[in-house]
Amino acid sequence: MNGWNGKILEIDLCALTFKSYPLNAEMAHQFIGGRGLGARLLWEWVGPEVDPLSADNVLIFTNGPLTGTGYQTSNRFSVSTKSPLTRTILDANSGGFWGMQFKKTGYDVMIIRGKAEKPVWIEIKEDEVAFHDARELWGLGVFAVSQKLGQDNNKRNVLCIGPAGENLSCIASIMNDRERSLARGGTGAVMGSKNLKAIVVEGKHRPEIEDNERFKFLLYETRKLLAASPLTSQALPEFGTVVLMNIMNNVGALATRNHQQTQFEGAEAISGEELTEKYLVRNASCWACPIGCTRISKTDKIVGEGPEFETTWAFGAQCGVDDLAAIIEANSLCNDLGLDTISTGSTIACAMEMSEKGYLDSDLRFGRADLLARCVEEMAYRRGLGAELADGSLRLATKYGHPELSMSVKGMEMPAYDPRGLQGQGLLYATSNRGGCHMRGNMLGLEVLGIPKLIDRFQVQGKSSFVILHQNSNAAIDSLVICKFTNMGVADEYFARVLSAVTGIQYATGDMIKAGERVWNLERLYNIRQGFTAKDDILPPRLLTEAPLEGPSKGWVSHLEPMLKEYYRTRGWDENGVPTPKKLTELGLANL
Amino acid sequence: MIDERIYEMFREIGRDLYIQNMISSHGGNLSIRLGDRVVIKRRGAMLGQLKPHDLIETGLEKNDSGVALASTELLAHRTIYMNTPALAICHCHPRTAIAFSLSRDEIVPIDNEASYLLKKVPVVTEEFASGTPQMANKVAEVLKNYKIIMLRGHGSFATGQTLDEAFFWSSTLEEACQIMLFAKQINEPFIEYRKMSEAYNKF
Repeated sequence: MNGWNGKILEIDLCALTFKSYPLNAEMAHQFIGGRGLGARLLWEWVGPEVDPLSADNVLIFTNGPLTGTGYQTSNRFSVSTKSPLTRTILDANSGGFWGMQFKKTGYDVMIIRGKAEKPVWIEIKEDEVAFHDARELWGLGVFAVSQKLGQDNNKRNVLCIGPAGENLSCIASIMNDRERSLARGGTGAVMGSKNLKAIVVEGKHRPEIEDNERFKFLLYETRKLLAASPLTSQALPEFGTVVLMNIMNNVGALATRNHQQTQFEGAEAISGEELTEKYLVRNASCWACPIGCTRISKTDKIVGEGPEFETTWAFGAQCGVDDLAAIIEANSLCNDLGLDTISTGSTIACAMEMSEKGYLDSDLRFGRADLLARCVEEMAYRRGLGAELADGSLRLATKYGHPELSMSVKGMEMPAYDPRGLQGQGLLYATSNRGGCHMRGNMLGLEVLGIPKLIDRFQVQGKSSFVILHQNSNAAIDSLVICKFTNMGVADEYFARVLSAVTGIQYATGDMIKAGERVWNLERLYNIRQGFTAKDDILPPRLLTEAPLEGPSKGWVSHLEPMLKEYYRTRGWDENGVPTPKKLTELGLANL
Repeated sequence: MIDERIYEMFREIGRDLYIQNMISSHGGNLSIRLGDRVVIKRRGAMLGQLKPHDLIETGLEKNDSGVALASTELLAHRTIYMNTPALAICHCHPRTAIAFSLSRDEIVPIDNEASYLLKKVPVVTEEFASGTPQMANKVAEVLKNYKIIMLRGHGSFATGQTLDEAFFWSSTLEEACQIMLFAKQINEPFIEYRKMSEAYNKF
């Protein structure tokens, strides 16, 4: 099984035991790895009756056949679980070094089940799994834990939770390599619920490549393509992902003040240009990445990684804050405490609007940069108002009788791209299997950046085709697992060829996309089994009824309904959004 | 009712195909996939002078009255959509590329742009080269792995997410073939300037 290691590691935290067994080869071929393999295993392991924060939920860590091969951005890995935030299927993936190191331990998959009696951390080396007492680490932040356990990028890598995960915040993240994040959906709370503080990996195993000559050629061609794209060779290295701030603001699709507007007058002050000029120390890269979009930023109080665009938006435009130093510090705090920055920022924005409207008794107001850090800390420790905010905006807004003020889908807060200015993006959010998420097939490339070519962002007819293609393609990329930014310069056809060269199994581009479609449909089936219906494929009412009063998206709302009908038909689902038997047979899922 | 913006896109690309000598007056066709529907040029319409009524919408899998009016290559377009991730197809008759297709099983460009973008373009042979299931299946099969292919002696089929992307591959191929033709006419030794170019024919 070239590409794959062919081994699953299963850990039982109740008994503090482990075993390993072979990975089913056919399953690997069909679901590739990462998110796909995680979804397939989760289907078997976690049924609808399981509470996400109970011992019966599992954490499934997966790498992919490309992980650790040295192909550009082949550093990523994934975790799959049932989300405590949305109760949907959940996967989150992360870059850095941990994924590559995990692959070097000789495993493709690690399934963690049960709950330890007392806090533990796990150390994994090739054929060696050790359980350690973590009581002294419990309560510590991510930075301190990473240091204590010997984080060393190319040799020994630490993945852990912060206090937010320990306190079961439904928007807590799992962190790796100090400041990388399996951010969304409450992965950190699931780990916290298992009394598992950290997982350290160290290995020497090198993945085998079937056709080295072809692989080297594709490596070379990919390097050329990434160097030729101004986005991957100039914009991202120079400004980081925050380069998108001015771009989104200029097209009038930058959600602002809890999506009350679509342009932010303070965008320039929190832009990538500003970040580079005033706060950037240097850029950095994940393992095997020639792009280098990571920011190392410095303020009077902190030096650390980030912030990313979504973070800068969530604490910035969404909260009406134009103080970039305060945003950088809030980001760093989230990383140390282990919180998802998108959900954290957007939940604070929701609380700001509720407070301004008199629905919530707090001093939060749009523009109050001075309150961000306090708020983040209170959320992680469930103190004061933070106890109300710690489980995301939907629970908060629902508690006070105004669920419509939560800018979320299926309970997960949406990121920066306002669907009123990007019609396809609205359909994408509404149908995303893990809730309001831009990583399930972002339409940014097509509707704004012109990758591969620009399409009309307000066009409704035919949008479902683009959304579906990108959802399927992204599911495949998440299964390989590589970074989606590579896809900004390199087309899917290269990934299929690389997968073929590494594994020796011939995947045409269409086969790889079909695998992505299989993953998407399986995730849909999981959510249906969980009780989700077409009624959950919806956007917050504000986006469907309140058109921006000014800017390039003036007068537009999301035309979700006609797009959704077309989407179901195009997916081969019935009018209730359920995959038809014909579609399931076509995808090899009929037996589920 | 087909969105006016979609018509504009067809009209502009159809006109450019004609102006660039990549089709004859009534040759070639364009289509896009809209969910479970296909929009394709009307049979016999002139791509260079498309009117709104020259666009026909029909089912991707299911027939309706639209098929009576659609291009003769509808079957090929449908088959390609059902077998590949394509959302748009550009079929045209690029003259230099057709000339090269008569003597080669694959076209491997020598210019920088096409080497970078295409690497190589397979040439497919089919006796019944227009409107038949045999042709449709063969073309679709090869397009699973390549974004543009040549049907020997007939023309190119290119796929993309948008029409202009599919058009891009088509015009890139024709440009590459013209450069190859010029290089042949100059008839001087080729100086290889591309690292690892020996792998292009294995792409």
